[in-house]
Amino acid sequence: MFETFEHTADLGLRVRATTLENLLEEAGRGLFSMMVTNLDDVRCLQERTYRIEGAAVDYLLFDWLNELLYTFESERLLLAEFKVELEPNGLRATARGEPMDLNRHRMEHEVKAITYHELRVEEVANGWLAELIVDI
Amino acid sequence: MPKGAFNGPLERVNDCCWRIPKSYKQGMRVDGLIYADDRLIEQIRHDQAAEQVANVAFLPGIQHASLAMPDIHWGYGFCIGGVCATDPNEGGVISPGGVGYDINCGVRLVRSNLSYQDVKPHLTALVDELFRNVPAGVGRGGKYHFNKKELRRLLSEGAAFLRDRELATDGDLDHTEARGCLADAVPDNVSDRAFERGSSQCGTLGSGNHFMEVQVVEAIFDEAAAQAMGLAKDMVCVMIHSGSRGLGYQVCDDALKKFRGVPEKYGIALPDRQLACAPINSDEGQEYLGAMCAAANYAWCNRQLLMHQARESFQTVFGRTWQQLQMDLVYDVAHNIAKFEEHTTGGTTRKVWVHRKGATRAFPPNHVEVPSMYRGIGQPVIIPGDMGRASWVLVGQSGSMDQTFGTACHGAGRAMSRTAAVKHAQGRRIDKELAAKGIIARAQSWRGLAEEQPDAYKDVNLVVDVVHKANLATKVARMRPIGVVKG
Repeated sequence: MFETFEHTADLGLRVRATTLENLLEEAGRGLFSMMVTNLDDVRCLQERTYRIEGAAVDYLLFDWLNELLYTFESERLLLAEFKVELEPNGLRATARGEPMDLNRHRMEHEVKAITYHELRVEEVANGWLAELIVDI
Repeated sequence: MPKGAFNGPLERVNDCCWRIPKSYKQGMRVDGLIYADDRLIEQIRHDQAAEQVANVAFLPGIQHASLAMPDIHWGYGFCIGGVCATDPNEGGVISPGGVGYDINCGVRLVRSNLSYQDVKPHLTALVDELFRNVPAGVGRGGKYHFNKKELRRLLSEGAAFLRDRELATDGDLDHTEARGCLADAVPDNVSDRAFERGSSQCGTLGSGNHFMEVQVVEAIFDEAAAQAMGLAKDMVCVMIHSGSRGLGYQVCDDALKKFRGVPEKYGIALPDRQLACAPINSDEGQEYLGAMCAAANYAWCNRQLLMHQARESFQTVFGRTWQQLQMDLVYDVAHNIAKFEEHTTGGTTRKVWVHRKGATRAFPPNHVEVPSMYRGIGQPVIIPGDMGRASWVLVGQSGSMDQTFGTACHGAGRAMSRTAAVKHAQGRRIDKELAAKGIIARAQSWRGLAEEQPDAYKDVNLVVDVVHKANLATKVARMRPIGVVKG
């Protein structure tokens, strides 16, 4: 599950999940939920694959979300379904969605960037917790 | 407010200035100084912005103090409203976070020969036409497309590139900070991804706090300066707030990724990863500077094309050319940038890199970098407020050179988080409330308007009062909004 939290000028995203894979998947949904109000109406018509290297989990989350943001920025593709598999040094993932259609998709925030400010990914009692702030 | 209040020391220096002594945290190299009066400092204590002022004081080579303007609020890494000058000859660093993702976000003001009475009967038609003609909001591309070769020239040449295509005039360039071009731009340092994001976004407004407003000059405070700028009471103007769009965001993002591990490499200890920096005289520092300057040039072109489209809309609605409407640029200022400037601190004159993160250059009369037509009055400082109350035009004063590396505030500063503002707007129609005050607002999203509602901001008049009293910049004209276009 994910929720947004308060930050004066920007927006925070808090994600909880039982596994790290699920945390990364939920973070993907959290990111796109800031951009499009009706994320559940985004159909999964196209698929993109990702491979991201890195051992540190916080940078892995950062780089993953950054790649997803770049997909939107470069292809105007809204992504709504994510499948992440961890590898020894990084992750492989697929994301599914459809091109932005202003007649059907209610667009909200332009996410300028994922920031490093107070970025954290932690293993907690019943799974994983991540927090990050995006620049609006 | 999130993360709780600032509980550190804030010592009163005078009516307009508060000090965080460098003894507050081990690692601070200089004091923090926040420009605010008693009322504003109470608001400032509510979040972690003052802590961020203290954190910036850790940066190697920082001169005088880590400074904050009265519109200071909590940012990421640097506070918004922060100013920091570093000396390359003292191991000074450059920090992409001290410029921000939106490199050369800034504001420009365009005047006209129309009065409020001329525009009032056509106001709705005018705002609708601007909303139709000026691309705004998430994912809306612009009408100007540049291939890679053209974009490389645009990044090198800045606004002059558009003049050669008859999308800008010499007069426009003369009235733009740095004539719309930083010569240190190195397009080779800009990534393919940044080029891709920049190819169709030049001439688009974006979302967040960016806007285009139709405004009326409500009151004049300095007749001579207003006259030099061609401003008069009741005159209709256009104010434009935007930056370097996806190209700039990508340049900052690329730099921060490359800067992972760089502070450690140079033995720089930092309290926040978002403050990542590199010595100015290092390969990493130089590479960022070349890319940052290129993105700054893109931003000047973006605001130029936004102004061009505003002029087109006025032509459509009023049936006269923009030249006949005398829609001349008053001035364009950057408020997210780092510039290499000469300043005097502690009796020594030196060249420093001044980071302005949500802060506006405010050079005084007779400064060599103020364009000749404004040399006698000082550099125009354009301060957007909020969409319901006011915006301001000021002129830079000598106090800015003595105290703040030639800098003043950049806006009202947020008082509410975006989440709180949306809650505050539940069940309300911000556009209808504004209409009742004679302001026509058009936005791509309800939420965007709710987050940017007037109550979400501090009172810009209080912010400007501090800047005026501290003699950083003085009041010339107050503008009131009558038309608002938002993403």
